Amino acid sequence: MSEPLLEVRDLVVRHGATTAVDHVSFSLAPGETLALNGPSGCGKSSTALAVLQLRRPDGGQVRFEGRELTTLTERELRPLRPRLQPVFQDPYGSLSPRQRIRDAVAEPLRLRGRRPTPGQVAALLERVGLDPSYGDRRPRELSGGQCQRVGIARALAGEPRLLVLDEPVSALDPSVRAGVLNLLADLRDERGLGYLFICHDRDVVRHFADRVVELREGRVTSEWRPRRSAAAPR
Amino acid sequence: MRAAATRSAGLLAVLAAVGLLPWLSGRDPALTVLRARSAEQEPTREALDAVRRDLGLDAGPLALLGRWAAGLGRGDLGASWVSGTEVLPSVLAGLRVSLALMGAALAVALLLTVVLVVPVLVRGRASAGAGAAMLAAVPEFLLATAGLLVCGVWLGWLPTSGWAGPEHLVLPAVALGVPAGGLLGRLVADALPAVLDERWVELWRGAGVSRARIRAAALQRVLPPLVPQFGMVAVGLTGGAVAVETVFAVPGIGRTALGAAKSQDLPLLQGAVLALLLLGLLTGAAAALVRRRLLGPALRDASLALPAPRPVRTHPAVPGVLAAVLLTAIGWGLSRDPYTVRTAARLAPPSWAHPLGTDGLGRDVLARLGHGAAATVGTAAAVCLLSLAVSLALGFLPAVAAGAADIANALPPVIVGILVAAAAGPGTGGAALAVALVSWPPLAAHAAALVQEVRASAYLTAQRAIGAPPWWILTRHVLPSVAAPVARHALLRLPGIALALASLGFLGLGARPPAPEWGLLLDESRAYVERAPWAALAPAVALALLAGLAVSGASYAQRPRTGTKARTRRMSGVGA
Repeated sequence: MSEPLLEVRDLVVRHGATTAVDHVSFSLAPGETLALNGPSGCGKSSTALAVLQLRRPDGGQVRFEGRELTTLTERELRPLRPRLQPVFQDPYGSLSPRQRIRDAVAEPLRLRGRRPTPGQVAALLERVGLDPSYGDRRPRELSGGQCQRVGIARALAGEPRLLVLDEPVSALDPSVRAGVLNLLADLRDERGLGYLFICHDRDVVRHFADRVVELREGRVTSEWRPRRSAAAPR
Repeated sequence: MRAAATRSAGLLAVLAAVGLLPWLSGRDPALTVLRARSAEQEPTREALDAVRRDLGLDAGPLALLGRWAAGLGRGDLGASWVSGTEVLPSVLAGLRVSLALMGAALAVALLLTVVLVVPVLVRGRASAGAGAAMLAAVPEFLLATAGLLVCGVWLGWLPTSGWAGPEHLVLPAVALGVPAGGLLGRLVADALPAVLDERWVELWRGAGVSRARIRAAALQRVLPPLVPQFGMVAVGLTGGAVAVETVFAVPGIGRTALGAAKSQDLPLLQGAVLALLLLGLLTGAAAALVRRRLLGPALRDASLALPAPRPVRTHPAVPGVLAAVLLTAIGWGLSRDPYTVRTAARLAPPSWAHPLGTDGLGRDVLARLGHGAAATVGTAAAVCLLSLAVSLALGFLPAVAAGAADIANALPPVIVGILVAAAAGPGTGGAALAVALVSWPPLAAHAAALVQEVRASAYLTAQRAIGAPPWWILTRHVLPSVAAPVARHALLRLPGIALALASLGFLGLGARPPAPEWGLLLDESRAYVERAPWAALAPAVALALLAGLAVSGASYAQRPRTGTKARTRRMSGVGA
């Protein structure tokens, strides 16, 4: 097997006196979908934030594409950030309510000094299944599912290798969920993205993940492969 | 705790500023003092040096402050520079008069509160609303002038100046008490409907308790959280007293302070301002004590949180019409000449040539009104911008902002105006500075709340995740979402700021004659009010319209804020 895309070793995250993540280790190959599963409060989201370095871990290592992230300064991290992108649970909360959809999607490109053409933004919106005319709207004028697609388009704009999906469909209606999950599955196949998929719903995990790591009270309790990938050829 | 620390630091700073006034003023008072003491003495260098030595001005600022503080500890406030007499007795004499006046004003305020609250109690769920808010917004100096005009001059019912008997107390007490009563009445009347909606009222009614007893209980429930507001009202009274005592020539502490500021008699000014500050602080402390006694220690947590004074919802047309009337008069006046003196046409009644008549020098009143508005609005806009800049900067330091805002809230603009005028001399710039010093706290509080809200929102984390550096987040996300609503808020405070400027102008602490400033116009017209009432009426009506605009416009400042609140609630609901 090639070098892992993401390698987490002995990760520790503390919130005051409580230890939310207690020496968690796992690794993720390019193009693989690894699910973190467990009840609420087991440390899934803390792990996600620590992997993204949005909350610095209190111990352990996070290697992404062979580089150790925990020792980098915020300034050194910034150019790497577009390559590991989050998609958050709250579809509205992760977009600025003041920004038009077009600007929200173009922002990651502008940040790196580029001047995205309207065609580029339209292509990104179309790729996530949104009509480019939505670019004129603001987040409040979209549904939760549409906002989540905008969040995914924004993540794609940075040309990522790894998406950290923190309960990406939990806040959505069941009817909308399948659409967003299908989109994520298509993107994975098309671009060879690695997914760190945080989810408390075993049924969703079973259908979506290649490998599942079970967390309980901040520790890894077991690791299993859903039938889908077990049947698939290696 | 931190707010308490900044609060006491702020108080000490104010005290130090008062103590350092002689040094802060920067100008040499020796000549003024020499002139005041003996008109015929030549201002030779030896004479001036002797005065300086006498006043202790040759020592440094710290020595000056130390000597003043040491004297304060012994109860020695120094001697007046002008008359040479001890300061303490004159301060005490003024204080005695002012306390009587404030007591009477408080009685008027309570009476008005009762008048405003009774209809709410009797009829149930309706608020005193716009009328009370307008009463609370009318500045004391305007009310005093109007009372003087109507009851004193035209009807001749009551004496217009002096301090000789109870009949002299009526007009000043009414002028001082009505705005305070409007404020208190509105607070109670706004809180009562919420209390009458509480569950226990249904329960008591079902159990057959009489309506009178339910109302008494509701009042009892409303009062404790309201008591601290008496402290704020007391602060307002100390500020209002300066204007009212000046108008009615009442020899109180406020008039003493103003006179001392104008004649550069700094020891007397220090004593008078100190007395006014102490008065405000003591009343506030007494109010807190009363509240504690009313509630009892166990009930403190269960006390009814008083809703913030609701903005009065007037018909949207009201501010529009008020603004239109004002703008028409101002526009008309701007096309005319405000400075030409025509002694032949002095105190002319309204005519086609002079639609609002002429003043004591034969100048056109309408023209002076129009040009005065341009100057006042220009200054007020500058003050607004300054407050906006300060509040945006301090919005990012909420702890500092809270403590400093407490101090600024406890200082009426008039007293700050007196201090600034004493330090820098009266003038438009000083008045603007004084108003700016006290007008930023509400804006800073708004900005701090918004900054907190934006900083807590998830999308800032999302910004970091795409690799946005801090300056990008600050300039593209935090600042735009804070600056726009706070700027709108600042704009809506423009009429209120213009009123504060006018009140300083009225007291002679702002614009200098012959500038056509509204407060100054009103002040000048008082001298010949019996012969030319229209010259006084025009600026008075214009100021009243401005007060109406301040109240009806302020209600629209709140709208965007409630909007963001609803949005956050929804967001947190999704996140949970």
